[in-house]
Amino acid sequence: MSANVLDIALTVLLVAAAVWTVSTARMLRSVIGLAATSALLTAILFRLDSPLAAVFELSVCAGLIPAILVSAVGLTARMDDDALARRKRAKLKVFALLPVILAAAAWALVRLNVPLDFALPAAQGPGATVQTTLWNLRQADLVGQIAVLLAAAFGVVVLLKGKSQ
Amino acid sequence: MLDLFILAPLACLILINLPPVGSRRLALPLAMVLAGVQAIAVLCLPYMPRLDGPLTSFFNFGLQITPLGRMLLLAVGLVAFVSLLVGQASLGQDRRLWQFASMMLLAITGMNGAVLVSDLFSLYVFMEVLAVCSFILIAFNRDPLALEGAFKYVILSAVASVLMLGSLSLMLLVAGSTGFAALKAALAAGSASPLLKLAMAGFVCGLFIKGGLAPFHAWLPGAYSSAPAAVSVLLAGVGTKVSGLYALLRLAMDVLPPSAALGQAVMVVGAFSMVVGAVAALVQKDIKRLLAYSSISQMGYVVLAAGCFLADAGSADWRLVAAGELAMAGAIFHLFNHSVFKSLLFVNSAAVERQAGTTDMQLLGGLGSRMPVTGATSVIAALSTAGVPPLAGFWSKLVIILALWQSGMQAYALLAVAVSVATLGYLLLMQRRVFFGRTAPNLQGVREGSEGYVVAELILATVTVLVGLAFPLLMHLGSFLLPANLNL
Amino acid sequence: MSPNLLLLAILVPAAAGVLALLMRGRAGAVSGPWALLATAANLGLGIFLFDKQADLNLPWAGFGLQFVLRLYQFSGFIVLATACFGLLVALYSIRFMAGRANRNQFYGWMLLSLAMVNGAVLANHLVVLLFFWEGLLGTLFAMIAIGRPGAWRTATKAFIIIGISDVCMMLGMALAGWQAHTLIISDIHLPLTTSVCTAAFVLLMIGAISKGGSMPFHSWIPDAAVDAPLPFMAFLPASLEKLLGIYWLARISLDLFELTPDAWVSPLMMIVGAATILLAVSMALVQKDYKRLLAYHAISQVGYMVLGIGTAVPLGIVGGLFHMLNNAIYKSGLFLTGGAVEHATGTTDLKQLGGLGRRMPVTFACFFILAASISGVPWTNGFFSKELIYDGALARHWIFYAAALLGSVLTAASFLKLGHAAYLGKPAENSDVKFDQVREAPPSMLLPIVILAAACLVFGLGNALPIDHLIAPAFAGTHFAAAEHGAAEHFAGWPESSMLVLMTCLALAAAIINHLLGAKRAGSGLGAVDHIHHAPGLAQIYDAAGKRYFDPYDIGMALAKVASRILWLIDRLIDGVVAGLTSGTARGAGYAVSAAHTGSYALYVVWSILGAAAVAAYMLMH
Repeated sequence: MSANVLDIALTVLLVAAAVWTVSTARMLRSVIGLAATSALLTAILFRLDSPLAAVFELSVCAGLIPAILVSAVGLTARMDDDALARRKRAKLKVFALLPVILAAAAWALVRLNVPLDFALPAAQGPGATVQTTLWNLRQADLVGQIAVLLAAAFGVVVLLKGKSQ
Repeated sequence: MLDLFILAPLACLILINLPPVGSRRLALPLAMVLAGVQAIAVLCLPYMPRLDGPLTSFFNFGLQITPLGRMLLLAVGLVAFVSLLVGQASLGQDRRLWQFASMMLLAITGMNGAVLVSDLFSLYVFMEVLAVCSFILIAFNRDPLALEGAFKYVILSAVASVLMLGSLSLMLLVAGSTGFAALKAALAAGSASPLLKLAMAGFVCGLFIKGGLAPFHAWLPGAYSSAPAAVSVLLAGVGTKVSGLYALLRLAMDVLPPSAALGQAVMVVGAFSMVVGAVAALVQKDIKRLLAYSSISQMGYVVLAAGCFLADAGSADWRLVAAGELAMAGAIFHLFNHSVFKSLLFVNSAAVERQAGTTDMQLLGGLGSRMPVTGATSVIAALSTAGVPPLAGFWSKLVIILALWQSGMQAYALLAVAVSVATLGYLLLMQRRVFFGRTAPNLQGVREGSEGYVVAELILATVTVLVGLAFPLLMHLGSFLLPANLNL
Repeated sequence: MSPNLLLLAILVPAAAGVLALLMRGRAGAVSGPWALLATAANLGLGIFLFDKQADLNLPWAGFGLQFVLRLYQFSGFIVLATACFGLLVALYSIRFMAGRANRNQFYGWMLLSLAMVNGAVLANHLVVLLFFWEGLLGTLFAMIAIGRPGAWRTATKAFIIIGISDVCMMLGMALAGWQAHTLIISDIHLPLTTSVCTAAFVLLMIGAISKGGSMPFHSWIPDAAVDAPLPFMAFLPASLEKLLGIYWLARISLDLFELTPDAWVSPLMMIVGAATILLAVSMALVQKDYKRLLAYHAISQVGYMVLGIGTAVPLGIVGGLFHMLNNAIYKSGLFLTGGAVEHATGTTDLKQLGGLGRRMPVTFACFFILAASISGVPWTNGFFSKELIYDGALARHWIFYAAALLGSVLTAASFLKLGHAAYLGKPAENSDVKFDQVREAPPSMLLPIVILAAACLVFGLGNALPIDHLIAPAFAGTHFAAAEHGAAEHFAGWPESSMLVLMTCLALAAAIINHLLGAKRAGSGLGAVDHIHHAPGLAQIYDAAGKRYFDPYDIGMALAKVASRILWLIDRLIDGVVAGLTSGTARGAGYAVSAAHTGSYALYVVWSILGAAAVAAYMLMH
């Protein structure tokens, strides 16, 4: 029971953090929100017995790449007060729609009678640690992962270092 | 052997980033050599003995190469080489060149990886590598328009990632693995399950976003037209082809079960892109935007043919199956041809932008006499795009249209012909506005672009002409370009 | 023998021709000997290939297009014959063309023409045939266009006339291929019973007879005779095009379709043939120019071949084919004598000539033999082939025989006039020609003429040689030969019907008497037929013909002008309505699509999600 409550609480927090991230007008808050979302997601993944995915999430999706781009955009255009006010109004409209969309999706899932209960595949063996899984089974992904990190690092250099034009 | 396609660019990347800093000057030449060697190595690949060195036993990437993959690797090598040439001609400072070369090497890693892996999740990871590189490369010059273009791409890529990861999780749930072979078996066994249908639809739609098919294309015109010239060449030539179209074709052949419904849906998207891209291209004022819409339209052909393959593959009538295979052959061939002629057109536009200072067609005119090589190669590329014989584009379109006709989809075939006519229309319009007519007074001093542009243009034009002329030969040789199991 | 050798017959002259085209400027001096060498090689190849059989099948562009060549008796015969003419004309041209600026072009196009003819003759696939057929049209255009200044106008005329008939031929090919379910020529065997097959035959026939130069596709030939370099006339209209056109006519009549006397196309061909004979020869009769006169005969003689093949009886067909060979020999010979005269005197205007017989005895002697041959004097080759055609025509209806015989009378009369005006009598007064300086043509020009004249006699006296060894094998294997056993024996030798021989002799006598009386009345050889020219009724017709009122090309062009004016008006109308509408719609749609790209991220995301939802929904519903 308490586990369920925790799960639901985490999920709600996750959604709230994500909404805040998108809706806040200040760049710094937005980045913090993204990091918070990511941290919550990591926690959920750990709760779901998926340390592998949690590690991935922490490493890549912790907002590094999007943060770079968001700040790059921030470099070029700062919002004035008018724009902020307009944005606030627009934001309300968008989030009023959110529950409607969610409800429609849920209705569609029920109506279309998508079976959500089926046998889960067997979990990987007890010896499957992060290292063995990564090295033995997902070596290619590891390389890809490294490349993504490298690309992100170079992105920082390319986009943020040196004078802005 | 195949590991090298992924490891060599990474090794080069490390090499050019090692101190002393003086080695940075060699960054771009090194990357060019790598790309050139890749193109040649792919051509030699069928004749090389399998070299299982210590590298292969140490790494375990589970790589696989198919005829489609070989063709894409060739296109990646060729277009990356050309893009680096253009980069060298347009970027100037050593520091920027070094940064550009580094990003290009990473992009090559991503593309090669995506082409070679045989696991759906790995495919996704390498597509992300390419995507991250693309974001950064588009915004490379940090001008506001380019940042906006990159940002649109980020947003829609995020949607694509959601769709693909969601579908992946559903597939993993059912198959227990994300390897192509396991997925194929699981999907074939449970093809009636709504959950799997949802998963397939989601993944394919993610690929549509990545490949820029209408109505998922909205990021593409902005990204192509605002990116630096060299990046446009790479993105339009192979970038979106690898991440969207290659994956779609590979899945259609190796993973997805034959399904008329999926095939029909894919064909509708393809036909829609074909028409929307061509119609929008008709009224564009900017060369690069026009070319971007043209890309959308041309990718429509490829997707249409892929859909035809999916729809026909499950048929009991062997003639329909053969027609489907022909369609797939046409799709693969057109993908390659498009890589060549579209990057050529982007190189042309880059040369025009560099020399005349703008890509707005209303301000241009009569450049053909000032820039003879650019003008002539641009005409070749335009004719090839429109499918005028005997250039390469003619044959691939012909194969696609024939296959559609043989599959009993005459309406789609006629639509494809009609769009071809429209393609010729807007490309000739572009030629007329840019290269023919009277030279505007402010353009009197314009000269031909530097050697980088000219060499790039000549290489690509030669390829498109040669492939066109040698097509009958390629057909008979059992062929590098077309799958061997094709019966014509 | 490897079938690949067939490719040599096309590639050797083609390559030599391209090389000759490249010999510009000073190198042009080499082009003549080079062409001689190449045509000699071509002849060697022709001799080697003769009497052999081979099939070559190269996959070409996929999609059922194959490069198929077939060598058998008939095609081997034509290749050999064209190779002979090629060599003779090349030999002749060396002196004739010497010093002219564009001689390398002449030799280049000539060799390319040879390649095209070889290709067309050997082709065993309709598309391949069409390719070479049209290629020959291209080289024809070029060879006329390099003539005297302004010749391009005539070249265009020839191009348009032949082009139109080639379109007919293309349609015919499409119909024939559709009916026979194959484009391989040797696999096509169609009966002439259905209307579609008949239409296909007529369309193909139009292509064939227009290549041969029959009426009503003839009117460029007399113009070309004046404008083009003279050896061209001896080479293409007089020999190669006749050979190719009649070869194809024979192929469609004998192989591709089963032409029988019952089919209505048979009388059609005979009418076309008879009309061509009479109309062209009456025009020839009144010409005052050596080359133009010969050109009209080049047209008139095709009539005999079309008539002969059109009879659809073995005698007539063999006669037609034999006449094709004979005509090529004496007609190119006659053109070459014209060239010799032009070379010696600088003109071919008969009013300025006369009495050349003493100055140019060899040329005159050869002219005498060649003219006798074309007039059908006994023991010449023309006599034997004409007798065969008469026999065939008489078997169908006496009216065709009468027309052919009348044609012979007029042919003889016009050659009597030509010979008299050019070679006999006194040199014309107030002429620009300096008769004291006129010399016999150089040996390299005489040799081809002598060879051709000798061939006329050899093929006449020993007519069994060509008939049994060249014509009959080509005729064998057709549906006629199957019906007539031992066909070959009939045709050679002295004509069976003494009646016909007698009639021919009477006709020749009539021509001679007419000439003697006419010459006496007019006082000169040139005016020997003036009494016909100026006869009441005929005078007006000749006058109108002289003003080109009867030239189908000029009539067509006049009509085309009116039609194009009307079409232009209609076109404007359609442009306004349809084109404006479609381009307007396209532009409107384009702007609408462009306007939909507002740059709003949210909108773009919504598009994508809606698209994905639609795809998913479609998948789930099926």
